[in-house]
Amino acid sequence: MTLMDPVTISRTFIEVAEVWVPEGDRLVLASGAYGDHETFGEASQRESFAKGEGLPGKAWSDACPVVLKGFDGSYFKRTDAAKEAGLTSAVAIPVFAGATLKAVLVVLCADDATRNGAIEVWSEDAGTLSLCDGYFGAATDFEAVSQTTTFQAGSGLPGGVWAARRPILMRDLGARYGFLRAETASPAGLKRGLGLPVPVPGGRVFVVTLLSAQATPIARRFEVWDARSARTGARETARLIDGICDRDGPLWDPDNAGNERTATIWEGPIGRVLGTGVPVAETGAAALGYAMMVALPIHKDGELAHIVAWYC
Amino acid sequence: MMEKLVVIGAGMASGRLLEHLFEADPTAYDVTLFNAEPRGNYNRIMLSPVLSGEKSYAEIVTHDDAWYAQNNVTCRFGERVERIDRDRKMVVGAQGEVAYDKLVIATGSDPFIIPCDGHDLDGVIAYRDLDDTNRMIDTAPGQRAVVIGGGLLGLEAAAGLRMRGLDVTVLHLAGHLMERQLDPAAGYLLRADLERRGITVMTEASTKCIRGETCVEAVELQDGTVLPADLVVMAVGIRPAARLAKDNGLIVNKAIEVDAQMRTSDPDIFAVGECIEFAGQLFGLVAPLYDQAKVLAATLLGQDAVFAPKQLSTKLKVTGCDLFSAGDFAEGPGREDVVFRDPARGIYKRLVIEDDQLVGAVMYGDTADANWFFGLIKDGTDIAEMRETLIFGPAYQGGAAVDPLAAVAALPADAEICGCNGVCKGQIVAAIDGGATDLGAVRATTKASASCGTCTGLVEQVLAATLGDAFQMPAAQPVCGCTDLSHEDVRRLIKSQALKSQPAVWQELGWSTPNGCHICRPAVNFYLLADWPLEYQDDPQSRFVNERKHANIQKDGTFSVVPRMWGGITTADELRAIADAADKYDVPTVKVTGGQRIDLLGVKGEDLPAMWADLNAAGLVSGHAYSKGLRTVKTCVGTDHCRFGTQDSTGLGIRLEKRLWGSWTPHKVKLAVSGCPRNCAEATCKDVGIVCVESGFEIGVGGAAGMDVKEVEPLVKVATEDEAVEWTVAFVQLYREHAKYLDRPYKWLSKVGLDWVQQTLTDAAERKALVDRFDLSQTIYQTDPWAELAVREKARAFAPIADLTLEAAE
Repeated sequence: MTLMDPVTISRTFIEVAEVWVPEGDRLVLASGAYGDHETFGEASQRESFAKGEGLPGKAWSDACPVVLKGFDGSYFKRTDAAKEAGLTSAVAIPVFAGATLKAVLVVLCADDATRNGAIEVWSEDAGTLSLCDGYFGAATDFEAVSQTTTFQAGSGLPGGVWAARRPILMRDLGARYGFLRAETASPAGLKRGLGLPVPVPGGRVFVVTLLSAQATPIARRFEVWDARSARTGARETARLIDGICDRDGPLWDPDNAGNERTATIWEGPIGRVLGTGVPVAETGAAALGYAMMVALPIHKDGELAHIVAWYC
Repeated sequence: MMEKLVVIGAGMASGRLLEHLFEADPTAYDVTLFNAEPRGNYNRIMLSPVLSGEKSYAEIVTHDDAWYAQNNVTCRFGERVERIDRDRKMVVGAQGEVAYDKLVIATGSDPFIIPCDGHDLDGVIAYRDLDDTNRMIDTAPGQRAVVIGGGLLGLEAAAGLRMRGLDVTVLHLAGHLMERQLDPAAGYLLRADLERRGITVMTEASTKCIRGETCVEAVELQDGTVLPADLVVMAVGIRPAARLAKDNGLIVNKAIEVDAQMRTSDPDIFAVGECIEFAGQLFGLVAPLYDQAKVLAATLLGQDAVFAPKQLSTKLKVTGCDLFSAGDFAEGPGREDVVFRDPARGIYKRLVIEDDQLVGAVMYGDTADANWFFGLIKDGTDIAEMRETLIFGPAYQGGAAVDPLAAVAALPADAEICGCNGVCKGQIVAAIDGGATDLGAVRATTKASASCGTCTGLVEQVLAATLGDAFQMPAAQPVCGCTDLSHEDVRRLIKSQALKSQPAVWQELGWSTPNGCHICRPAVNFYLLADWPLEYQDDPQSRFVNERKHANIQKDGTFSVVPRMWGGITTADELRAIADAADKYDVPTVKVTGGQRIDLLGVKGEDLPAMWADLNAAGLVSGHAYSKGLRTVKTCVGTDHCRFGTQDSTGLGIRLEKRLWGSWTPHKVKLAVSGCPRNCAEATCKDVGIVCVESGFEIGVGGAAGMDVKEVEPLVKVATEDEAVEWTVAFVQLYREHAKYLDRPYKWLSKVGLDWVQQTLTDAAERKALVDRFDLSQTIYQTDPWAELAVREKARAFAPIADLTLEAAE
């Protein structure tokens, strides 16, 4: 296996991640990972959003993931600060537990001709999933193919996530294994895919996929935690059931089933997600030596079921 | 000098053996490793995630070239071993021979290929190794794949192929998927999960042949169904690959026989893995293989070790299908089941307890506690102390007993109570505070429990928790101890939730037993076949003994046989055939019944099929004198012979009987047609009684002449015979669709009221729809059980054996 040295890669696909949580009738900033974009972080700290207001407010009111590919003239409220930081597009993912909004995760990307990667939003219509919106960076050919592709339940990464109702990690999109759009993923350098169900009130089906390229990765480490075992011990825990890391290799051991690494409630970023059901975006020690980490809870039937984390 | 160890087969068992060996003493052996596959040891059980794309092949390689080099293993991959020269202690491969001091055979297993026509066509593959996996991966999305075998491997293949965009059908011979690991309830949930993925599942599907010229084109089933296919994956089982051992004179039974040190009948030859047989047992899961590897490593190093098989558990590697099974979960005397179901979340858990020990567990949808339960099974822990809360898992042990009301009381206001209508506890409490103090009022105010009704109990608990003594929990009569739902609720839910199988009812309606009991099963069986005649298949095991035997059992254990006589009319030939049968089978008593039939009493069970065949040959069919269904249509002679007759009562009786026979009903149904108001056929005390008058036909319903005696109530008067038939059929169907099981029509009418029945049947469109539904059902059920059973020579089924667990007692 070729392990990438994280130091040699400076740029990542996602530059900023932030978590907005409801407080009263507004969304306020709970945590954020801003990297070099401190000024944008400061702008965010001064901000709050009502339902329907700005990008986080829109994800809340529309109750679906929202992609914004340009800020000028849009409802995006922090356009000037974003421009100054070179951030050009954003994706907002609402986190609902049943009918309750727990948070909105916003990730922001910087555009240039070399950054490959994709954040796709798939939605169900008449029994198939089709691309609702997406941000593809420079992967324009791949974007074109995705726009004309649909998935049935159980088929492909989005369809698999939809049928399984849980996150799925695919580690080699360009190889012929599994990924249905492999032929176009390969030239775009897309290597790894993480598919997430985005449960929303009202039964509409949304699946978000993060497709990561080796050169400008969305993440260098992906983790999938099973939080359904949370009820079983004296203290709630989540188990690391899958993952892949450029440094550590596979984060699963089939011979170790049932004895996986665990995260305990309130301990570390995963523990915090376990306790609150709200995403975290962190820098520093929690990021295990990477520039930032994001942990996103996936609720099922109103209860925390899985946590996905990515580090970049 | 190092001893020479030759290992044949680089699978998971031998791989683990080498690891143990090198770890304990890297200098003990000079190892040569043969493998027929052109590669070394990889984690074969992880091929499924590779197929689905969730893992890459590189990730499942256990030993790469560097590992073999580091341990000085001479690799002879892609080379088949031709024979073993035991005298010279040489292994002969295709590329030459190599000497051994000790030899390990780890040839694993071969997939079993059904030897049907077409099994050797291109495109028919097994699911065993990376080559098979790659063949599946190379099949283009959109192609059609048929997977034969709904066991672990078959389902993993199906899910993987589906992820790759293929159109997938799974064929399974048994009645539910993974029948060796799962009970029907868990099998039902698994099937629902797979179908949600777009996989078509066909159970009780037996493959006849595979069609195609040079490559696969279709799979044909025994029932004539033809499924177009571009790829056929056979995953019906494995067979130990013991040929090499057998050809070279080692003792081989089902597989290579070994002792507890993994030694074969040759003291210098050992075997591990799926190719061995130990104490009559074969091995297919990885855990015992690893145990064997450990024992063999010790043996090869001159240490003492003994292999002892342990309990096994099963998990399916299909993302999102959470199932677990372990131990023995067959029902049996002295065993007790604890069942937990959460229909809304698709959760089913069943624990089997015997002598205060957990002996088996099946779980679906929530397997988080599986390892804890597995530990209890393996260790034989005494669970007497935690019996009450065992099913809730380790978190509940040592704490207070679970009181459902306490749990409800502790729920926050925003906890959803009614999932269908999104009603939270807070809204219900607000409604109660606002004066809604019973279930009906809460339902009217909030809509909670107004849809599927499964949260009714919860709503009542919220009422109880909020109002305390002011709320009286209603005592609705449940069907039986398996459920709190009433018959009416069960009927309503079977319709509204489109439940079409018994496992679906048990699961979705939260049954507390695995398969129901002798009280609920006959009722649910009837409700299902009445509501879903095409989709549901009648379950004979859910019938009373008389209906299973198709004859009334008498107090001395003999049976009575009553041939049908349409409208009470018979012929000399029929009477002769009956007389002959009475003679031939030594029938002690022949009696004329009140319903104008002839009853042969005292027939021995083993004579039944032959007697039916004889009567069938004379044109006689079963009179269903034992069934909850149409019994008899009694008639008088009508206008043909009687001077008072106003209509052809006999003809109408025959017509009705020919239309209605064979249909199952909530209880028995008896009809009569009298040709005039003198009522010689005694029509006015029947379930449906028709009295002919000059101007037409007076149809009465709801009569009785048993424990209760009751005159029919007038349903309608019609002018023509056709109308009389239409109304009668529609009435019977309405009764079939709405009555509680074991309510005769008069009891049912007293509950729903004659007015409602008249109102419903007066609507011509509704009447026609009822008749259509009845006729549709008859396309399935109007068959003569005698003919079926006699022809199939199912005589053995009448031998005096009984499966007590599934018996529906009279």
